[in-house]
Amino acid sequence: MTREEVLAVVARHLASSVDGLDPKTIDPMRSMKDYGANSLDIVEVVSGAMRELKVKVPRTELNKLTNLDGLVGLLYDIKSNTGELAKP
Amino acid sequence: MSWEASQFSLADFYYSDSDSPLTPPADYVAWRRDTAWATSLYEPVLCDPAGPINRLRTATGEQRVINMTSYGYLGLVRHPKVIAAAKQALDDYGTGACGSPILSGKSTLYQALEIKLSALTGYPAVLLFNSGFGGALGCAAGLMRKGDVAVVDARAHISMVDGLKVGGAKIAFFEHNSARALDEVLSAHNGARRLIFVDGLYSMDGDLADLPALIAVAESHGVGILVDEAHSFLCCGNTGGGVVEHFGMRAKVGVQYGTLSKAFSCGGGFAAASTDLIDYLRFYANTYGFTCAMPPSVVAAASAVIDVMQTETWRRAQLWENAAYFRTQLQSLGINTGESTSYVVPIVVGENRALLYQLGHQLREHGLFVTPVDYPTVALDQARFRASVTALHTRALLDQALQIIEDVFVPAMREKGLLRARAM
Repeated sequence: MTREEVLAVVARHLASSVDGLDPKTIDPMRSMKDYGANSLDIVEVVSGAMRELKVKVPRTELNKLTNLDGLVGLLYDIKSNTGELAKP
Repeated sequence: MSWEASQFSLADFYYSDSDSPLTPPADYVAWRRDTAWATSLYEPVLCDPAGPINRLRTATGEQRVINMTSYGYLGLVRHPKVIAAAKQALDDYGTGACGSPILSGKSTLYQALEIKLSALTGYPAVLLFNSGFGGALGCAAGLMRKGDVAVVDARAHISMVDGLKVGGAKIAFFEHNSARALDEVLSAHNGARRLIFVDGLYSMDGDLADLPALIAVAESHGVGILVDEAHSFLCCGNTGGGVVEHFGMRAKVGVQYGTLSKAFSCGGGFAAASTDLIDYLRFYANTYGFTCAMPPSVVAAASAVIDVMQTETWRRAQLWENAAYFRTQLQSLGINTGESTSYVVPIVVGENRALLYQLGHQLREHGLFVTPVDYPTVALDQARFRASVTALHTRALLDQALQIIEDVFVPAMREKGLLRARAM
């Protein structure tokens, strides 16, 4: 799976949570909050994307991210490796 | 907790990936097993009525603890007049209401409580609920629909948020207690049917809603406000009418919601508003009409509490005096008490969640019963103990509690470099 495909998954889930958002117009350098998602929406988007991608990332790690690109990068890295977060 | 376990929290298992909804996610089950020691602090079993001192059931027997977890802020749970009223109601009305309030569950006791709460709140009409959480959920769901926008303080209680999800309204959070942020969110949703939701006193932080500033913004947008006084009603305001009374905002708040389970030490909740609005909620707040009315003994006890607090106003004064003392003493130890200005006092640990549970066990072993509050209930870097002061904590008990904190909490936090410089 490519990084662009991971972005497409995240963008589709975000668009389904935010009224009137076209997934093709999503800029990965912006945050979900920038697109009007509230904290409950963000949980839905991330959880839905992780379920579809079959990866698991602790929410504590996700809180460090600042934009969609960071989320996509993290999900892509995990998907590309073992499906799990690397231990310190 | 192991490293792997401490990386996860309840935020990670809300959406299950198991094959059946009847099967919890396997990783949740494993995580619960791995964190059993830490989370054994939750669901403790008390051997006596909640008070300043309690006996907790342990694996080997019982343990005496100073209880700083109780919502019974005014110390009314063992009040003889309240207990007598409940017993009398059992004799006169039996054990249950045996019907929804709409159909057959209202008694003369029930009606009397509605009238007393109406007088205490200053609103013409009141609706009683058999659950504080359920009543809040029902009000939010009953007022807001798909297409509406609920403008909600970011730290508002989950009962309102759950109700808004049920009703289908869009939820727009604003930064906690920020009039500027409220203004921005209201402006962003201009044109929609909007209602603001705030707590009177925030249950995990102990600060009051800045109603004067928030309501000024609300009025500038022509938007109404609902104030959830679950933790403030009876304790705040000159007559116990909550934060709304404290700030002199009664005429400006559309709905005042309160519970009968906290300071009342009984159970249930109520909404106070205009007669027409309450009559609307009567049929659209489903947690009112589609469930059994409160048991008569609980109704009678809540009613007796209102009578007691007409004369025993010293309880309110003592509560605030105790809270100020405890909070000030904690701060003098260098402890972060967040934004608290009330009897709910956070003792902040920070992002070291493993330390939170380690300290929780040590404090309890030394005889101090405080509640650990972990992410996602509070922010990731704000894990804490929630200490609640009551009117019945004596100065000697508060000093004992503070000594335990100084002996156990302070050295551990200092060792980790997590303590502020000691206040002089």
